[in-house]
Amino acid sequence: MSKGKIVSIHSFRGGTGKSNTAANLAAHAALAGKRVGVVDTDIQSPGIHALFGLNEIKMGRTLNDFLHNKCGIAEAAFPVGEKGTDAEGRAKLAGKNLWFVPSSIKGQEINLVIREGYDFNKMNEGIQTLIRELDLDYLFIDTHPGLNEETLLAIAISDIIIIILRPDDQDIQGTAVTVDVARSLDVPNLMLLVNKALPNLDHEDMKSRFEAGFQVPVAGILPLTFDVAENASRDLFSLRHPDHEWSRALRAVAETVLSID
Amino acid sequence: MNEEATRQLKKFPFFRDLPDETLLALSQKVSARRIARDDVLMRKGDEGDSLFMILDGWVKIVTEDSAGDELIINQCGPGETIGEMALIDQSPRSATAIALDEAEVLELRQDAFLEILNEWPDLSMALIRSIASRLRFSTIYIQKAIEWSRRTAAGDYSFIEHTPPIMKRTGSDDDKAGQLLFAFFQMVHRVKEREEGLKRQLDKLAFEIDHARRKQAFEDITSTEFYSKLKEQAKKLRAQRDQDDSREAK
Repeated sequence: MSKGKIVSIHSFRGGTGKSNTAANLAAHAALAGKRVGVVDTDIQSPGIHALFGLNEIKMGRTLNDFLHNKCGIAEAAFPVGEKGTDAEGRAKLAGKNLWFVPSSIKGQEINLVIREGYDFNKMNEGIQTLIRELDLDYLFIDTHPGLNEETLLAIAISDIIIIILRPDDQDIQGTAVTVDVARSLDVPNLMLLVNKALPNLDHEDMKSRFEAGFQVPVAGILPLTFDVAENASRDLFSLRHPDHEWSRALRAVAETVLSID
Repeated sequence: MNEEATRQLKKFPFFRDLPDETLLALSQKVSARRIARDDVLMRKGDEGDSLFMILDGWVKIVTEDSAGDELIINQCGPGETIGEMALIDQSPRSATAIALDEAEVLELRQDAFLEILNEWPDLSMALIRSIASRLRFSTIYIQKAIEWSRRTAAGDYSFIEHTPPIMKRTGSDDDKAGQLLFAFFQMVHRVKEREEGLKRQLDKLAFEIDHARRKQAFEDITSTEFYSKLKEQAKKLRAQRDQDDSREAK
């Protein structure tokens, strides 16, 4: 297997559960003994940090600092298995090799990036450096929804892209465009993940419809559940409630991702 | 003894704000009654001529359903009053009150009440104030319910997201309007959930992609200079990594 696979988690619109899914998938890769990194490239609206137990007080160096040449990328990597085990779910990551590079949640720094932009080569360099310095097996990228330039960059450098969508018209239309773009950028592995599917629907039927409609494999169908919504922003749900239906479906997706050669 | 009676009267929101001398005068007009379980305190249809204040124990307020079976519409306990409307309008009892267990109540008869009303005008003010505040609350709740009904009819359920849930309090008649609003709130929640469920099931039937729009969006994104450069860079990067991989493999 080649080292350092880049896995982008993407969705065309917000609210699909993208960050939550990215964090839980990365956690399962780490639990499986892999060396895993997660980078929050959603600079405009960061959110995944809370799932790894970071807040404004605990957050040290960030991706923004790296992009503005204030530190090396690895200095911004928060060791989740060492310092982020302060919640029931995350406690299971103790001693695991999982690092998280947050985006700054300071308004001023977010504005700076939005106003002045940043060097895309610098971002790319950071990601490659992180993989090398931490000797990563997988690097998960949590992208900004939509198809702006920074997201296109993430897609362009990915080995695997997981597009998350809800079973509704707008997400289906936007996902079709994203699939075309990912193909145009020669992403070797493309898969869909349907989230927030109504539990009483026929998920197998949905899977085959989506696969036929997009011509892309569906890695999993995760059910809509208020349990996830209630807990998600504080802890890694699938680690905290491993027997929950959502967690079981997510684990199956993680296994699919890890099985890609 | 009189002090004790005054203290007891103060337990009732109805009389709480009255000065001690008024309460003292009132306490001389009330009589304490002990009732056993299943004793009937008042019966639906009877002439209503007294107010009951519960000191201890619980009383059920019942009426009959269409089949003639007992229907409990409320339960009242210590600190609550029953039948206060009778002091004013003397209309027949609208429901029957039966002791759920042994209970102690204070009874104030209408004739006694009217007698002291003349001497103690603040007592009638207390009565009016209590009725006014109940009316005010009811009006606010009814206005809310009307507004919510209109919005629900128009398919706008957003108010249940912005309006904090109303706590359901058990107890007095005063809160009936609040309970109605709470029930209304829950009803709209359920209606919304059911409707969304149905909508999603329908969406499932319509897996449709607008291919013209899809093509246009794709062209908008890929026709920029940025995209061409990115595609070029990505190609180089992938080639480089493939090379590194095969070198590592050797």
